[in-house]
Order: sequence, then structure tokens, then C-alpha cells
Amino acid sequence: MKDIREDIAWAKINQDVMKSLENPRRLYWVILFVAICAFGVGVACEIYQYRTGMGVANLNNPQVWGLYIATFIFWIGMSHSGTLLSAILHLMHADWRKPIYRFAEAMTTFSLMTAGLFVMVHIGRLWQFYYSLPYPNERGIWPNFQSPLLWDAMAIFTYLSSSILFLFVGMIPDLAIARDNMADGWRKKLYTLLALGWEGTDRQWRNFRVTYLTIACFLIPLAVSVHSIVASDFAMSQAPGWHVTSFPPYFVAGALYSGCAAIITLFIILRYVFRFEEYMTKSILKKIVRLTFAIAMIWTYLNAVEFAAVWYSHDEASKAVLIEKATGTYAPFWWGMIFCGSVVPLVFAFERFQTNIPVLFATSLLLNLGMWLERWMIIAPTFSHGIYPWTWDHDQWPSMVQWGMVFGSFGWFTLLFMIFCKVFPSVSMYEVKEMVYHRTLHLKKSETAEQGAH
Amino acid sequence: MKIKEFTREAVMIDSGSIKQLAGHPIDRRDFLKVLGWSGAAVALSGCGNTSVEDGKETVVSYVEANDYMIPGVGVYYNSTCAQCDAGCSINGRVREGRVLKLEGNPDSGINKGKMCGLGQAGVQDHYNPDRVREPLLRNGAKGETITWEKAYALIAEKLNGVKGEEIAFLSGGVSGHLKALLGNYLDSIGTKNHFVYEALAPVGVRAANLKSYGVALPRYRLDKAKVVLSFGADFLGSWISPMHFSQQYAQFRKGADGQRGVLIQVESKMSLTGANADRWLVVKPGTEGVLALGIIHALGTASGEIAELVKAYDRVTVSKATGVSVSQIDKIAALLKLRSPSLVLAGSAVEGYAHGAQNAIAINLLNHVLGNVGKTIEAPVAVPFPQLAPSVGNTASLKALNDGLAAGKYKVLFNFAANPVFTAPGAFKFKDSMAKAGFKVAFTHYLDETALQADLVLPLDSALEDWGTQIPEYLADGMQLNIQQPLMEKLHANTRSMGDILLALIKQRRAEDYKGFEDYYAYLRSSLLQNKGALGAGGSDDDNFWNEALTKGILKIASSAAMLSDKAAASGLQLPKAEEVDAKFPMHFIPGVTASMRDGRHANQPWLQESPDPLTTIVWDSWVEIHPKKAFELGIAEGDIVEVTSKTGSIKAQAYLFSGIHPEAVSVPLGRGHEALGRYAKGYGVNPFGILDAVYDKETGELAMHETRVSIKKTGARVLIVKDEGAAGGLQMGRKIAVSKTTDQVDLSEEV
Amino acid sequence: MSVSNLLENWSQFRHAHPVDDKPHDPYKWAMSIDLDACTGCNACSIACYAENNIPVVGKERFQHGQQMHWMRIERYWDEDGRDFPDQGAQFLPMMCQQCEAAPCETVCPVAATNHTADGLNSQIYNRCVGSRYCSANCPFKVRYFNWYDYPTDEAVWPAEMRQQLNPDVSVRSKGVMEKCTFCVQRLSAAKSVAKSEGRIVREGEVQTACQQSCPTGAISFGNLVDPESRVHKQWQAQQVELDKDKQAKDEHEEGTDLRGYRILEELRPYPSVMYLERVRESAV
Ligand SMILES: Nc1nc2c(c(=O)[nH]1)N[C@H]1C(S)=C(S)[C@@H](COP(=O)(O)OP(=O)(O)OC[C@H]3O[C@@H](n4cnc5c(=O)[nH]c(N)nc54)[C@H](O)[C@@H]3O)O[C@H]1N2
Ligand SMILES: Nc1nc2c(c(=O)[nH]1)N[C@H]1C(S)=C(S)[C@@H](COP(=O)(O)OP(=O)(O)OC[C@H]3O[C@@H](n4cnc5c(=O)[nH]c(N)nc54)[C@H](O)[C@@H]3O)O[C@H]1N2
Ligand code: SF4
Ligand code: SF4
Ligand code: SF4
Ligand code: SF4
Ligand code: SF4
Repeated sequence: MKDIREDIAWAKINQDVMKSLENPRRLYWVILFVAICAFGVGVACEIYQYRTGMGVANLNNPQVWGLYIATFIFWIGMSHSGTLLSAILHLMHADWRKPIYRFAEAMTTFSLMTAGLFVMVHIGRLWQFYYSLPYPNERGIWPNFQSPLLWDAMAIFTYLSSSILFLFVGMIPDLAIARDNMADGWRKKLYTLLALGWEGTDRQWRNFRVTYLTIACFLIPLAVSVHSIVASDFAMSQAPGWHVTSFPPYFVAGALYSGCAAIITLFIILRYVFRFEEYMTKSILKKIVRLTFAIAMIWTYLNAVEFAAVWYSHDEASKAVLIEKATGTYAPFWWGMIFCGSVVPLVFAFERFQTNIPVLFATSLLLNLGMWLERWMIIAPTFSHGIYPWTWDHDQWPSMVQWGMVFGSFGWFTLLFMIFCKVFPSVSMYEVKEMVYHRTLHLKKSETAEQGAH
Repeated sequence: MKIKEFTREAVMIDSGSIKQLAGHPIDRRDFLKVLGWSGAAVALSGCGNTSVEDGKETVVSYVEANDYMIPGVGVYYNSTCAQCDAGCSINGRVREGRVLKLEGNPDSGINKGKMCGLGQAGVQDHYNPDRVREPLLRNGAKGETITWEKAYALIAEKLNGVKGEEIAFLSGGVSGHLKALLGNYLDSIGTKNHFVYEALAPVGVRAANLKSYGVALPRYRLDKAKVVLSFGADFLGSWISPMHFSQQYAQFRKGADGQRGVLIQVESKMSLTGANADRWLVVKPGTEGVLALGIIHALGTASGEIAELVKAYDRVTVSKATGVSVSQIDKIAALLKLRSPSLVLAGSAVEGYAHGAQNAIAINLLNHVLGNVGKTIEAPVAVPFPQLAPSVGNTASLKALNDGLAAGKYKVLFNFAANPVFTAPGAFKFKDSMAKAGFKVAFTHYLDETALQADLVLPLDSALEDWGTQIPEYLADGMQLNIQQPLMEKLHANTRSMGDILLALIKQRRAEDYKGFEDYYAYLRSSLLQNKGALGAGGSDDDNFWNEALTKGILKIASSAAMLSDKAAASGLQLPKAEEVDAKFPMHFIPGVTASMRDGRHANQPWLQESPDPLTTIVWDSWVEIHPKKAFELGIAEGDIVEVTSKTGSIKAQAYLFSGIHPEAVSVPLGRGHEALGRYAKGYGVNPFGILDAVYDKETGELAMHETRVSIKKTGARVLIVKDEGAAGGLQMGRKIAVSKTTDQVDLSEEV
Repeated sequence: MSVSNLLENWSQFRHAHPVDDKPHDPYKWAMSIDLDACTGCNACSIACYAENNIPVVGKERFQHGQQMHWMRIERYWDEDGRDFPDQGAQFLPMMCQQCEAAPCETVCPVAATNHTADGLNSQIYNRCVGSRYCSANCPFKVRYFNWYDYPTDEAVWPAEMRQQLNPDVSVRSKGVMEKCTFCVQRLSAAKSVAKSEGRIVREGEVQTACQQSCPTGAISFGNLVDPESRVHKQWQAQQVELDKDKQAKDEHEEGTDLRGYRILEELRPYPSVMYLERVRESAV
């Protein structure tokens, strides 16, 4: 199968990638417009909710959390593939990472920014959100460092800042290329500023490598801890269905899962929209697909572990919640989650599908749907069927306001992403060059080996 | 209005420590004067208290606040609850001149400091946004505002040349000086047509008791009983004096010697009391008396006349007739034999039949047979002043009025403290009859269904703004005269005290006799002072007596006990044989009486609308109680809108599957389904009064409320019932939440 | 503001386990509710509305499960599948159990709900950001959130009705959590009076609104550390100990004839409310 060409000229690489920064095709504008509209819907819903009260979300007692938290976890999950994978693969010197890591990292940053919005729209007094930050104040009132929610806030903030840093540092050489290839204008100014005077001297390269490696090493444990902490929001509570020891790894697996699925989706889109067939090759896609399949199976396994743990425990309340999930109001969604999360990925097991773009595209969307359902199925059933039977409520249903904001978040994410793609090179030029170089070396080696045989 | 010169003392002031500062000296002040009756109308409106005249905020300088009014400190004054007729004494918390909360007055023997939810909601009657604020005169479809002078003049004019017998005055139960004054007024306009109407009065029970005990309402002593066998008496919810009975019940449960009292409730639809019974027995509607005779038979201790009477009521026959198992009858008999004294109650559920009074008499027999009369059935006190004694109402008198109106006998109709257009049984067509009266005057707090039919609507002060005296029909703890006094300044400048209105009207006729009293307050005060001696304060100085009366809120008066007859009234007692079912209307219809809604006059108090019905936990709506078995038969599920049809009419409401009801009966609670009465009442639920057939008690001529037969039909519509109960219904799902023990597992004598 | 201040601030109001780390002195407010006396009449619940400025949300919001009753009366049926509930119903007044190690406190991101020195689970409205995590973690689900801005809602509090609001109790605005406070405004008043007289609050000096109205006296309330208080005597007589998650008396296999128990004790919230089991006659 066709892999990246070794004879591709470096100048051409620059050319191709820089092209993606220039005058957009119509399709780009269409996507951008749709994104803006979708985001608009979300904003309108939030304005309405902000002015009227959380009641319009049709949340209630006991169902105090809804789609906002579910979708928050979803986006946090999304963020995981990008930076985490990129860092791991970087340490593992996996060359095939090189053409795709840039947009994957961007994806991380943007999904974190999207997740953050859901924390905001969820809280009852948005205008007082800063109470949850440990800022100096004369009364010495601090947030409650015991609350997982606070750990959350901190972990996510740290993760966001480090991800941005990682993304930026990795981009410096390309920004220099962009700077050098630009006619005067705001872009040139911007790139000049961000390139930090990069000239590609040996010393700069050495420092660059060290810095990049350090951040990568720092990011891996951080990323893992972030979703473990999100898991703690639930695992540390007393609520049946949440009070589960295996939640942290389960959440991390889920995160990587949805992240990889999202990478496949975006990979295909970018490949098409920006004509990156040269660099985003099917062989790379195949590698991601296989990775995704592996993670899907781990996720499935952890699900089984959780169910078994609950089933064989003496925690009647948790058992009741599990049964409610499988048979109650939410059964269709819960089984939908199982189907999308554990059955659909089996498609990846077949060699011939691993490079079939249409199939992969459809599948990856289904996987993400499954992952979103998973988050919702963690939230809703526990509230509707908690420890205290008198307050059970199986009829509550999220209002259009909630759905509107969930919808809007996709618009927001797309919006950020589309803008990024036009402002920054979404494929790493210098690393693709490395990749091509490594490949030529590899081919030379095999040639000389053949001659030796003679 | 002129300044009132008198003083009164708060019972206590705030301090969190109840009563700790009782009769605090800071408080001897001319309350009403500062209350602004002197015209300084809003003198004491505190923060946020707006003067309703001009709608302006009026800030009070706390730098020199009125002495009785300590900023930020509540002051308590005693008065009387007007939410139902039980006559509990209340203790209102007033702050910055606003009444905030009503507590029970611990000195009253009736409620001993306690208050029911209905009573608590009294403040919402007072502050209700839908009160009538101006006299209104009908002008075509709508009412236009007129002055009181015009209103009085109009009444005088309309009465002019009208013969006494052409005037009818309809009122709810009245007592005390208002009753006296009303009597005098009717006298002055030369009419004897005073119709006293209460939709839910224990009329059959009164009649039966007169026969059985020689008194209409003896003193029931649950606290002395070891067993209470109650036939449909909801004494914990809405029957006669629930606050008093609830406290007796608490003692009864603790038991004198640590032996817990046993409550057996017999009824066709579970009441709040039934829900608290050790044994709740569902009985075929109307056969309560039969069961009582069956128990007498099973006791086998009766002799003579009674033994004769119950011969026919052997356990098997009775069991067949009532649906109560033979073994259950034996158990009850055995228990009653074993534990004495006991108390047998005949409540409102047994009187609602054509043989209602007979039903109750049969049940009362048990008390004679068990020798409870004189032990747990005690003689009530006699009311020394008949002119103040409560005149109790019934539906029979409304029927008389209705017939009169229908026959066009009355030119002028007055209505006070009754809402017959809402509460009269549908068969009366009261609204149409009322239209036949030439001129209709309504003295009212709200534009209720009846006021809407009136030509002249006169707005009344709320019970917390008004003066008055009251004698409850059921004197739980000796003779007492309840004092009603304003807890705060009038909210609305143009409402009037009913007493003042009557006085003004009577002066149109007998100016001479009444010129001494320039308002009801003066009338009340001098009338009480005249009677000081009889009121047990002979000799004491007028002001002291008066202050004390106002401070205590009650006048306890020595009085002799009435005579109780221990002669059982067995002769001529006969209960009907089981009647065959009408195929067209196969089901019994039981109008439900709930503790907070009663006859619906307080349905516009939001706390009551949102307070879940104790048994179904439903709020803000009506429902049809139907037994799950029957529902299954008819394919009815919870939330189905069903149509309940009687000979007289039909209503549609949501079905609630409820196992606490006889499978051959359905029940819809009374009180909701208003077409008027303001934003919190109008349009919520349906009104079962409307479908009640006109069937009467053969003995008393009283409406037999449980005699209506209905048919049930699914309409196909379905709603989500608005209730507090969650998806688990009343089940605990095996979680240890509300736990029970049986008496043999506990030792109450050891408890604190 | 300093780190020591920080550590102070939060260790002071956190209990891994009640009383032994920080004994309540001189006050520990507690309650006991006799389910055999409770008739389910709802008077307490309405008294609580009257005392604590609780909004009446109306039919539609009630339908959405947004009712605010701090004190709710639960009605249970025997689960023996008989045709008729011939042992009546069972009523249970449920409000905030003022847990000693309150699950709601530890999770609040801004420490808006805390344990007070006299053993209450306090709720600081001004501090609450409305994350609703506390409610999620309250096993009894007795926390009620202000889904709308009731104080400005004419349907909830028309101008006239606003005059009934208790000035001692703040009216909660949109977006904050609320719940039963054990009528803390009454407690504070009583404490300050007692303090000004150089003593502690005596038994009977302070009542909660629900207790005060309860016609059968099912609710008793007082200072658990005061040996004179009825609550103290009741807890003692029932052998229910505040800081146990399993009471010694429940260990005997033949059971106990004592009625005192705490709901969901096994979750270790150490509730401050003891219930006395309902009793039913065995003879009929
Ligand atoms: N009725 C009335 N209202 C007023 C005023 C008035 O005079 N009368 N004055 C107005 C004026 S000028 C002002 S400044 C405001 C003041 O309004 P608030 O700021 O509400 O004043 P306080 O009630 O003194 O303080 C609020 C709470 O902070 C708590 N507190 C004290 N120290 C600390 C601490 O270190 N940490 C924490 N977490 N809590 C602490 C107190 O116990 C109290 O419960 O009130 C205004 N409103
Ligand atoms: N123990 C305790 N002490 C405190 C505080 C506390 O919480 N506890 N709070 C502190 C704080 S935050 C504050 S702001 C101060 C407030 O303390 P102050 O500034 O004394 O405020 P007040 O006592 O409320 O008002 C002062 C006087 O102004 C008068 N006044 C009202 N309106 C007017 C006007 O229009 N013109 C004139 N000339 N006078 C007017 C009032 O009648 C009152 O007599 O108290 C401080 N002291
Ligand atoms: S029973 Fe309730 S409503 Fe009736 S008088 Fe007593 S407190 Fe008032
Ligand atoms: S007031 Fe007393 S009896 Fe009535 S429900 Fe409340 S606790 Fe039970
Ligand atoms: S009952 Fe719930 S709200 Fe109250 S203290 Fe316990 S956990 Fe917190
Ligand atoms: S709702 Fe308020 S009190 Fe509850 S956890 Fe969130 S911030 Fe804390
Ligand atoms: S203690 Fe006070 S706040 Fe709590 S339920 Fe009773 S009345 Fe309401």
C-alpha cells in the first residue's frame, strides 16, 4: 500500500502545507458558516438560561446534573488523544505520528476550551464562578481543597496550559518557515512574533529538542491524571453507580477511545478538505485504526469489570442502578452505548475496512456517539434511581435548552478548529521532512543490503 | 376613625426562648392608636411594608420607633384562628408592624399551643393578593367601585318597603357577639329567615348523639381510652377539633401505663386517621352500623332491648353484609372485652346516607354496651350565654333557602361566610335559584363563586385585622370565650369589619339603641365589660379585665356540665337491607374531605395547594381514587383522565390507583375546582359538589353526601400526576428507611 | 490570608469522624422524631414554609420536580402485597439530617456548606455558586436548588405576600442551594439571649418551627450535650450514639426492644436526627 513518498521534494512539502493557509475553498466557508450558526444556537440558549434560571434546563431535584456535565466529560475525553498520543508516540519515535500530531494537539486544546464552557453553563451562579478559584482575599476564604470539583478545575487548567505550550513549541520551526514564505502583512508579523527568531541553528535545534521532550514527558502523567480526577468527581462520591474503584482507568480508557475516534474523523476531513493525501496516507490511518481498536477492547473490558464488580458486590443500591440502566427509562441509550462502544469497533478488526475511508468515517462517528452516550449514562441513571427511593424520578428529560447547548458546543469546536487550520500549518512541515528523510535512509539501507548479497 | 384609648400587652417578645419574656413591660402601649386607626395609616409600616392606599414605600425611622415595636424583634399577640370552626387560639408574631407567622396559644385547652397546616395558612388569607378591596356594585357583567356610604344607602333603599319574610340572610356558622348583633339586625329588619349553612357539618352525628347521649357533641376522651374503634371519624384530619384530638391521640398512643392505645378504623375510603390505624377495615359503604351491631352480637354482653335488636346480626350475616371477615369481628370483640375503657366514634363517613343518623345511633350503642358513657364519653359544658352560643349550620337549611329562592319568595338575599354556589350539591341548581332574588348582597373577602352572582359586594377585613369573640361548638376543655383581635393594621383602607357593617346597618333602623357604640370594637368592649361578672372577673377594674382578656386571647369561664343520658337509644333503630345496585350507576361516590381543603373556602392559599395530600401526595389538582383491582377491571391506569358521572352531573379528573378504598367505590376530594376565588384557586381541579344527587337523611332531612351513585368511564386522555411521591411509589425497596415494630417487640414504659 | 489560615479554615470545619476529633461544646443540636406519634398531617411542613420563606413553586414546576419543601412527609405502604393497606400507611418526616460527617460538605468546591461548631450543616447562600454537587452527594436528597429567581417572581411572591416574609431568614435568589437549617435563626436568637445572661440555652427555650406546630409532639429538638435535654435523654434511652455507624444494641442477634434508629447510618454520615420506629398492635 502507498506510504509517504521518499522522493518528495522538501520545497514541495512547504508549498503544499502553506497552501492550506491560503485562500480557502468554498467548502471551507460552508463549514465555517454552519459552525457559526450552531454556536449561535448554543449562545442563545445560555443567554436565556442565564436570565431565567437553571430551571429552563428542566433539571430538578434529584436530577441536579444533566447533559452539561455529561458533555463536559465528553469533551475532556476528546482532548486526551491529541496531546497524550502525540507525546507518547513522540517518545516512542513513531514516525507515522508526524503528519497528524499537529491537528491532534490543536484538537486537544480546543476540546478543553469547549469542556470549560460546560462547567460555566452548568453552575447556577455563573457570575460567581471565581469563588472556586484560590485567589487571595482579605477574609481568607479559600475554596474547598477537599472537593474533587476543585481538583478538576486545577487539573484541567494545568492540562490546557501545558497543551497549548506543547502545541506552540512544536510549531516554532514551522512558524519560521511560514514567516520566511510570507509576503508582508499581518500574517508575516504574527509568524515573526511567534517564531521567536528561529533560525534553525544547531544550538536552537538542540534546545528545541530538549524542551519538546521535557514537555512531552511532563504531559503524559498529567493527561492520565486529568481524567482520573474527572473520574474522582464520581468515584469519590457516595452515589450508587458512581462509587466505583475502577472509574479512573475506565475514564482514561474512555477518553483515549473517544480521542482516537475523533482523530480518525478529523484525519479524514482534513485529508479531503486540504488535499493532504500526500502526507496523511492510508498507512497512517491504518495505524490509528488499529490503535483505536485496541483501546476499544480495553474500554469494553473495563466496562465488564465495572458491571461484574457491582453485580457481585453487596451494594444493593448500585445493583439497582445497573438494572435500571439496562431495563429502565434509559435502556435504549444504555444499550446504544454498548452497541456503539463495543460492537461497532469490531469493524476495525477486518483488514479491508482498516483503510476504507467511507466505512471508517461512519464508524468513527458512531464511536463518538457511543462515547457521548457513555457519559450521559454515567450521569442520568444514578440521579434518577439513587439511594433514596422516595426521590426516584424516571420521567425527567433534558429540555431543548440543554440539547441546544450540546449542539452549540460542536459549532464552537469546529469554529476554533477551522480558524486554526487557516492560521497555522496543521501539518508539521519540518517533521514530515524528517519522516521523508528517515524513509530515504531506510530505503538506502535496504538497497546496500541487497548489493551486499551479491 | 376615632382613636381607641386602651392598652394591651404582648404575651411575649422574640428572643428565640419561647415565653421567656412574657408580658414584657416595654409593651404596655396604646397599640391600636399607634396602629394608625387614628388615620396615621401606615405609621408603622416597616421595610418593604407598603401603604396600600398610595402604594408608596413608607420608611420608618428606627431611631425613634414606636415603643411596642422594637426593630428586628417580634412581638406576639393572642387571637383566634378563623380557618375552621375548631376555635384554636393563636399567637401571632408581629414584626415592624407586620404579622409574620401564627403559632398556637399554649394557654388554650383546645389546641395547647399547636396548629394545623390549615391554620398556619391563615396569614395567606390575610395577605392574599386577590382580596376584594373596595365595595363593588354590579353594573351589567362587571362591578364598579362605590363608597361605603353609597353601599349602605343602597341597602336601606332596597330594604325599603320589603316585607320581613321577603328577606333572607344566609351565613356560615356564627357565634359570639357577631351572632348576637346579626340576630339583632335581622330583628330590626323584621325577618326570621336566617339560614345557617355549613357544607361539612356533623349533622347526622349531632342528631344521633342527641338520641344516644342526650347531647349533640359529648366530650370524647381518646386520651382515656385503651382502644378507639372509629367508624369513619377522621379526628386526626378534619373532624370537629383535630388539633385537640391529635394531642389526645398522642397520649392515647403512649398509654397511661405504657400500654399503647389501639386504634381500629372502619371506613370505605381511607382517611388520614385510617392511615394511622393499627387495623384499617374496609367496609361496604353504608354498612358501618350493621358491623357495629354485629360486634355487639359478638360481644354477647348486651341484654334486653339491645340483645333483641342485635339477634339478627350474627357474625356470618354481618360479615356477608359488610365484607369484614368473621375472624376480624371476633378479634375486635375480644379486644374490646379485654381492654377497657374503650371509645367508639361515629364520624362523618357514617352519616352520609339516607340512614346516616340510624347508622350513627347503632354505632353509639356500642359505647353503652361497653360502658364507655361517662368514662370516655363525657358530658360537655353548657354554654351559659345562649345568645353567644354557636348557631351551627347544615345543608337542610340551605335546601329550605334554595326552595324559597326557586319559588321566588325572596326579594333581598344577604350572604356572609358561605359560598353555596360552589358548595351546594349540583342537584340544587343554587346559582339559578339565587338569580331569582331581586337584590343580592355578599359580605366577603374574595370574589368567590357566590359573590360573583351578587349585586352588591362588600369587602371584609381579614380575620387578622378584625375584632370578635367566638365560642367553638366543641368545647374541648371547659367553657371558653375566644377573643379575636387585630394582629396588624388593615392592609386595605376600604375593607370593613363585619361587626362594623352590621352596626352601621342596624343603626339605619335603631339609631337610638346603638348610638352609644360608634363601632363594633366599642360594642364588643362594653358588652364584655357589662358581663364581667358572668365572665368570671367580677369586681376587677375594667381596664385590667379588658387588658387581660386581650393579652390572654381567651376568657375561661366557669360553667356547669350538661346532662349526659346513659340510656341507650335502641328502640326504633333499623338499618336498611342491602340495596341492589343500579346498573347505570354501579359505583358508590365518596366525596373526600381533606384536612387542608375541607369545603374549599381556603383553596386560594398557596401553601395548602402545594402541601401534598398526605395519602396520595398529589398537589394543585383533583384526583379520582380507585382501587387497583377495579382499575384493572376497567383498564384504567394511573393518570388516565376518567369521567365520573352521576344522575346529577359529571366531572373529569386524573385517576389515582389507591388500595385504601372499597373496590365498589370511587372518591374525589372536595375543595378544588373553583371557577373564581383568585389566581391560586381558579382552574385547579374539579368540584365534586357539582355531581352530588339530592338524597336526604330520612331522619334529619340532611343531605346524604355518600348516597350518590356514579359510573366511571375512561376518556382516553392521560396526564402525568403532579405529586411528591417518586417513581418507587410508596415502597422502600428493601432499604431501612421507615421502620416498624409490633407492640410485642417494644417496651414503651421505659421510654422518655 | 496565609497558608496557615487556609489549613485552619478547612480542617476546622471538616470531620472525618464526628465529635471525637472536635467535641461539641456547649452545643450540639439534635432531633428525634417519633414515627408512632407522627400522623402525617403536614403541619410541620407548612410551618417550615411559613418560618423559612420557602417559595411555593406552583403546579408546573412541581410537576418538573422543582418543589422546595425543606420538610417533606413521605408516605410508605407495607410491602406485603395485600389487597388493602389494613395496617394503614407509614409516614416519615424527612429533612436535612444535619450529618456530623456530611457527604454534602466535603464535595462543595467553594466550602459554601460547612459544619458549624454547634453541630449544624450550615448553608452559606452568598458563597454558593450553584454547582449542585452537594445535592448529588446527599444520600437523603433533602437539598433544594433555586431553579428560578423566586423573590422576583410575582406569581410566587406577589407584593402583598412578600410582607409575610420572615426578616430573620434570607430570601434565596436564583442559583443557590438551600435546605433545612434546624431553624438556625431561632437558635442564634436563643444563644445570644443566653449569652447575654452568661449561660447556655436551657431545654425548652428554643423550638424549631416544625416541632412547635406538630400537634402530636412527634418532634423533639434540643441540645444533645445538655444532660437535661429531652433529646439527650431519648438518645440515651434508645442507646443511639452520635458517633457510631453501627449501634451496639443492634449487634444482639435476638434484636432489641428499643425503637431508636438513624436512617442510612451505614453510609456513615452520622445523622443528627434519630427516628423512633412506628409501632403496630399485634393483637388485631
Ligand atoms: N438590615 C441592615 N442591612 C444592612 C446594613 C444594616 O445596617 N442593616 N448595612 C449595610 C452595610 S453598610 C453593609 S457593609 C452590609 C454588610 O453585609 P454583610 O457583609 O452581610 O455583613 P455581615 O452580616 O456583618 O457579614 C456577613 C457574614 O459574614 C460572616 N463572617 C464574618 N467574618 C467572616 C470570615 O472571616 N469568613 C467568612 N466566611 N464569613 C465571615 C458573618 O458571620 C456574617 O454571617 O450590610 C448592608 N445591609
Ligand atoms: N458591631 C458592628 N459594628 C459595625 C459593623 C458591623 O457589622 N458590626 N459594620 C460596620 C459597617 S460595614 C458600617 S458601613 C458602619 C455603619 O455605621 P453608620 O455609618 O453609623 O451607619 P448607621 O448607623 O446605619 O447610620 C448612621 C446614621 O445616619 C442616619 N441617616 C440615615 N439617612 C440619613 C441622611 O440622609 N442624612 C443624614 N445626615 N443622616 C442619615 C441614620 O438615622 C443613623 O442615625 O458600621 C460599622 N460598624
Ligand atoms: S384546627 Fe387548624 S384550622 Fe381549625 S382552628 Fe385549629 S388551627 Fe385553625
Ligand atoms: S406535624 Fe407532626 S404529626 Fe404532622 S406530619 Fe409533622 S411530624 Fe408528623
Ligand atoms: S442530610 Fe444531606 S444535606 Fe443534610 S447534612 Fe446530610 S448530607 Fe448534607
Ligand atoms: S450547590 Fe452550592 S453548596 Fe452545593 S456544592 Fe455547589 S456551591 Fe456548594
Ligand atoms: S427544623 Fe426548621 S428548617 Fe428544619 S424542617 Fe423544621 S422548621 Fe424547617
